[in-house]
Amino acid sequence: MKPERSGYLSLGALLAAIMCAVVFLWSTPFLWMIVASFRPDGFGGLGMASLFPDFVPTLKSYHYAVEDGDWPLWFMNSAILVTGTLAVQLVTISLAGYAFARIRFPGKDALFYLFLLQLMLAPPVLIVPNLTTLVHLGLYDTLLGVMAPYWGSAFGTFLMRQTFRTIPKDFEEAAIIDGASWWQVLRHVLLPLSIPGLTAFSIVSVVYHWNEFLWPLMVINDPDKMVLTVGLVSFAQGAEGASDWGLIAAGTLFIMAPLFIAFTAFQRQFVNSFMSSGVK
Amino acid sequence: MFFRSAVGALCAGLIASSAVAAERIEFMFPAPVQGKLSREMQKLVKEFNSSQSDVEVVGVFTGSYDETKVKSQAAAEAGKPPAVVLMSANFATELAMNDLIVPMEQLAGDTDLGAMMEEFWPAVRPNAHFAGKVYSIPFQNSTPILYYNKEHFAEAGISKAPETWAEWVDAAKKLTKADGERWGIMMPSNYDYNGWLVQALTMANGGQFYNNVYPGEIFYDHASTQGALKFWRDFAHQHKAMPTGVTNSKQVSTAFFSGKASMIVLSTGALTFVRENAKFDYDVAFMPRNIRNSVPIGGASLVSFKGTTNTQKKAAWSFISWLTSAEKIGHWSRFTGYFAPRKTAYDLPEMKKFVSEHPDALRAVEQLAYAGPWIATYNTVAVRKAVEDEMQALLSDPELTFREAAARAQENADKVLAPYAEQTALSLQ
Amino acid sequence: MDTPSKTITRHRIPLRPYLLLLPAFLCLAAFTYWPMLQVFLASLTDKKRAGDAGDFIGIGNYRTIFTEADFLGALANNALYAAGTVIPSVVFGFLFALALRETTNLSAILRSALFFPTLVPLVGAAAIFIFVFMPDIGLLDYYLAKLGLSATNWLGDPDLALISLMALTTWKNAGYYMLFFLAGLQGVPQDAEEAAKIEGANWLQRVYFVIVPMLGPTFAFVVVIALISAVSQVDHVIVMTEGGPNNATNLLLYYIYQQAHEFYDLGKATAATVVTLILLLTLSFLSLRTMERKVHYET
Repeated sequence: MKPERSGYLSLGALLAAIMCAVVFLWSTPFLWMIVASFRPDGFGGLGMASLFPDFVPTLKSYHYAVEDGDWPLWFMNSAILVTGTLAVQLVTISLAGYAFARIRFPGKDALFYLFLLQLMLAPPVLIVPNLTTLVHLGLYDTLLGVMAPYWGSAFGTFLMRQTFRTIPKDFEEAAIIDGASWWQVLRHVLLPLSIPGLTAFSIVSVVYHWNEFLWPLMVINDPDKMVLTVGLVSFAQGAEGASDWGLIAAGTLFIMAPLFIAFTAFQRQFVNSFMSSGVK
Repeated sequence: MFFRSAVGALCAGLIASSAVAAERIEFMFPAPVQGKLSREMQKLVKEFNSSQSDVEVVGVFTGSYDETKVKSQAAAEAGKPPAVVLMSANFATELAMNDLIVPMEQLAGDTDLGAMMEEFWPAVRPNAHFAGKVYSIPFQNSTPILYYNKEHFAEAGISKAPETWAEWVDAAKKLTKADGERWGIMMPSNYDYNGWLVQALTMANGGQFYNNVYPGEIFYDHASTQGALKFWRDFAHQHKAMPTGVTNSKQVSTAFFSGKASMIVLSTGALTFVRENAKFDYDVAFMPRNIRNSVPIGGASLVSFKGTTNTQKKAAWSFISWLTSAEKIGHWSRFTGYFAPRKTAYDLPEMKKFVSEHPDALRAVEQLAYAGPWIATYNTVAVRKAVEDEMQALLSDPELTFREAAARAQENADKVLAPYAEQTALSLQ
Repeated sequence: MDTPSKTITRHRIPLRPYLLLLPAFLCLAAFTYWPMLQVFLASLTDKKRAGDAGDFIGIGNYRTIFTEADFLGALANNALYAAGTVIPSVVFGFLFALALRETTNLSAILRSALFFPTLVPLVGAAAIFIFVFMPDIGLLDYYLAKLGLSATNWLGDPDLALISLMALTTWKNAGYYMLFFLAGLQGVPQDAEEAAKIEGANWLQRVYFVIVPMLGPTFAFVVVIALISAVSQVDHVIVMTEGGPNNATNLLLYYIYQQAHEFYDLGKATAATVVTLILLLTLSFLSLRTMERKVHYET
């Protein structure tokens, strides 16, 4: 940490205090979920909203969650799903992002907006046409079928275009003068400098696909390929008016746990990658 | 690239399914009431698979009732029609009208469907039929029922559950405590539940909610429905015994459990859940009547989508007849709280034992004698929504009159029904 | 959008950019353009379901939806919802990023906490927020009651339901946008700020005249993403309100969902999709143009 002048120090302390208060308010739904997941009467009670445990904590909700869910299988399927999606995406978006950010070619703007179309799709009407395509490709009821529509990510292309554009051209020009090919420039100059962007995209992609519900529900039939969100709904959802809040909280926390851990770890790397990237 | 091929290989392994000789069919089912039910359903599927070797059923969990409809319909239109789907009981009519599901006679082979349906309660039969044919086999059914907190009743000096609307209003007012400390009565007014309960009140008010013979006619701007709308609305605005605005079924059950509501109306399908979780002395009672005791049925039935092969149809039937046998349907009823639509299930010894131990389960069955079919028209959801929008508006806006609301509901519903009416009843040249 | 460096691209084979776009394009072609074409064609017919043949009726569906109260209501609701989610979530995201710009142990923890809402699966969050917004018993009312405020039916009152959904969306997204602003802020050169400081600019002036212009691409990106999410996310509506009470939270996508899957009117659903798409594309185009115009990418 840099030494700071005293005037800034008190201002900084005030800012820190304000931010702590804001973050506390922001976190209350979470804190409540944690408290509720240990509550003995998860389905209702007058003090249910209290953030301060006024009860003997019980693992009952977690016990039910573990008992009712095929967690190892769901976790594995979700892990395969997000890895397979991300791996292909990273390749396609780097290439496309590079083309849009650095090369001038006829029809570029039009193509760019054509790419952006994907972002704006209203998924409900695409369910039937896309399922039909999957059936023709033989990917219906497979995890590959869940991944395939996302391999060409407009969001990722857009993000990589923005990221590449913030990198000063001097770096590449130096490399080009040294005789590097476009591929070497991309591989050894641009991509290393874009780690923040790639990391940001990875987080977004993983979070999105980890948490997606409707599309996997539509594609997958085989219980052996069920993913976490569908699993969560399968034991926590009630159609006829019953709701066990403790169980929903426990299950939701369960699903989030790997992301929690990964993000907390990634967050440091995410920030560190700026420091080492040399982009100033 | 190595990464991609590694993932590809991993996934290819997952695609390849083991070769089986048995006919493989898919059975899609939603999560009614509570999650452990979907585990229990998978157990039943396993039990069926191990009981014989010709058919292998894959149990597919499909979310809510609505998502089940979206998924099974999308799969059918994409060319993978599911052989068996547990579908909201009143959707069979519109699925049949849209030529998406097949009549059961195509599956049943030599089975005498007429005789089979005789074994089901009369109340569930109309929703299973369309244009004279059986399109669905009832599996889990419910009716709305009144749950009440006996401790609150004793405290307010009320000795028995209300039987008439007048007694109901009286009890609700007595049970209510000021400033929202306690509500006398709560009913779910979210979409779907809302229309079901407006229908229940209309029937109790002596009326007929929709034309259950001709699916192009609805009776919203009629005295019996108007009265139902007014009655429900008055609980909130006139008697102040119910919160204003829309409350969904989860909020209603939570309010009951936490003692914030003394009486609630919910599905009999939630009975087991209430029995296991209520910390106080509760009981269930018939829906109170104005003119007569009458309630619509709810719940779900088994349908089969169009486009399956003959062997799949045969396999589907062997599963359907197994699952709806008196023994299995009775087991499911005891596990969930739904009543068993097959009358003969109640003749079995384990069922007799169960209802004698849990008289509240019997109340739901007794009410069946007064039950009728559930709204099923051309474009059911849109028609139902026309009255639900108005009911929601009535609960939120004290200025809105029930007459205006009923008239607008009728107008909007008629617009939805117009294409059907024009191509059928009004088609004379 | 037209700042390519001549030295790099002049002598290249023009085929290459297209080859670079090809892998992504193939996926988009199969799962975006092909179905979009089908959607567009379906919008010109009176198809009831995907399986229907349907007759060609030209712009009939478009004419119908623009005279229909439900669609116009959904359009108006969505406009309100977009304004009420994009502005607060982008502003909060930016302010959070400014406040937590310096990396310290404390700011690392606070950043994580603000980002956590993004990690909650929407199916779980929506279920949890039914409880948060529950009148009287729920989290919000429980604590508001301690401040002396009476019970409020957040999701069940037509005047409040949309605002409640906006609050949920802002809660869920602000921390997400903060990440992009944090990334963008790292690219703002210290010397520009120092220079402004020496010239006597106060904090607010530095933010407005130095940082905001430099973050042009980030703002453009985040605003477009937020706009799109305001139109393309509908799970919370499905789980929490189903468009109610009395259509108060009926958004465009929910209208489309119902027309396509519940009301058997694929013609109207696809026409509404095309209209939504054109609106979004126009808005994104305008935001990108305005925000990127004044930006200098080269240092």
